[in-house]
Amino acid sequence: MRFEKEVEILAPREKVWKFIWDVDRFIACVPSCKEAKTVEEGKLYSATMVEKVGPFRVEFPTTIEVLEREELKHIKAQASGADNKIGSRMKIELDVNLQERGDKTLLGFVAAVDILGKLAALGHGIIKRKADQVLDEFAQAVKKRLEGEA
Amino acid sequence: MLRRFHLEEPRSIGEISELLGRFGESAKIYAGGTELLLAMKEGLVQYERLINVKGVQGLNEVANGNGAIKIGALCTHRQLENCPGLQQKLPAFVELEHNVANVRVRQVGTIGGNLCFAEPHADPGILLVALDAKMIAEKASGKREIAAEEFFVDAYETCLEPDELLTAIEVPLPAENSAAAYLKFGYLERPSVGVAVALTLIPAEKSLADIRIGVGCAGPAPKRVPAAEEILRGKSIEEAKREVAKAGEVAGRAADAISDLHGSQEYKEHIVGVLLKRALHSALSQC
Repeated sequence: MRFEKEVEILAPREKVWKFIWDVDRFIACVPSCKEAKTVEEGKLYSATMVEKVGPFRVEFPTTIEVLEREELKHIKAQASGADNKIGSRMKIELDVNLQERGDKTLLGFVAAVDILGKLAALGHGIIKRKADQVLDEFAQAVKKRLEGEA
Repeated sequence: MLRRFHLEEPRSIGEISELLGRFGESAKIYAGGTELLLAMKEGLVQYERLINVKGVQGLNEVANGNGAIKIGALCTHRQLENCPGLQQKLPAFVELEHNVANVRVRQVGTIGGNLCFAEPHADPGILLVALDAKMIAEKASGKREIAAEEFFVDAYETCLEPDELLTAIEVPLPAENSAAAYLKFGYLERPSVGVAVALTLIPAEKSLADIRIGVGCAGPAPKRVPAAEEILRGKSIEEAKREVAKAGEVAGRAADAISDLHGSQEYKEHIVGVLLKRALHSALSQC
């Protein structure tokens, strides 16, 4: 599943970039993420992703590895995790792009998400819809947080 | 494998509501179990307690009264497909029930369980939306009516409160010169798209006094499509037949269709239009 999302933020690019690397504040914007930790500054992080669709609840202890970093412009990261209780795995390849737009910053996400195992029984469409909602909420939360601080 | 759980055997709605309130998300209502036990066996959900509601009297009856047919939430699909009273008053609903899943599921699966599990690819909710049905929800402190179109919130989600139980479905008795039809399309037991039409004619004028349209399966939950109804309501039969393609486009877009293994969003939207046209013709032919 591939997701693309863009959000225009009324804040300079430097501020948005700094915010992305402030793990606690950044993770607070991800609706399904809890217990984020820095394992190796700028390279490796761990988090627990929790999500619910009706009665179905998943909890993925997740490792997030930063693969590429181009200062103020681009981050490439990979997240992977497994929920052993329900026998499912997920893998996300994430590209984050920042572009200057006058006094604003265009923050773009491209995510390739793979869900394997029993969770897939819920149906690709339902999972895609949920992931889309999460990404939307996340983008809006980042915008609100950064613009609120302006 | 099914993991161990504690089975509660309440005898009243008040007791069920109290158990739901006390145990929260660790408990789940168990009726037919055709969806729930499968999900539990697969390990997709785990509950410490199942609350077996089958011991509560009076929830598996079909009765007429106050201008409506009251269907107990514990009625099985099999019971409903073979109910003579329903066959006479709501033939479209009986036909729908006759085609739910397979006979083994229909034998034990209940209408209430089907509606409350809110699996997106389920039939009954769609026709109940078109038939203007009311869901009767009860808990220890009271009872309320919920319009079918407001009952379904999202995939696998209803508007029932945590301590509420669906006890019955009330379907208004069809007016004279009324008819309904439900059509579905799919490759396997679970439909990819379902469309329901319920209409009332003015015979002297050969026009549609009222029409309600429900769509589902294509998207996360059954929904009514007032914008498509508006295109057809008040029109002569001939005009309605001409305008139904336009109404189908509107209904297709409103279906919140999701691309998945059942088909792409565009494909499902197209099928909604095809089924709407056929369902309209089917309902008209019964008046």
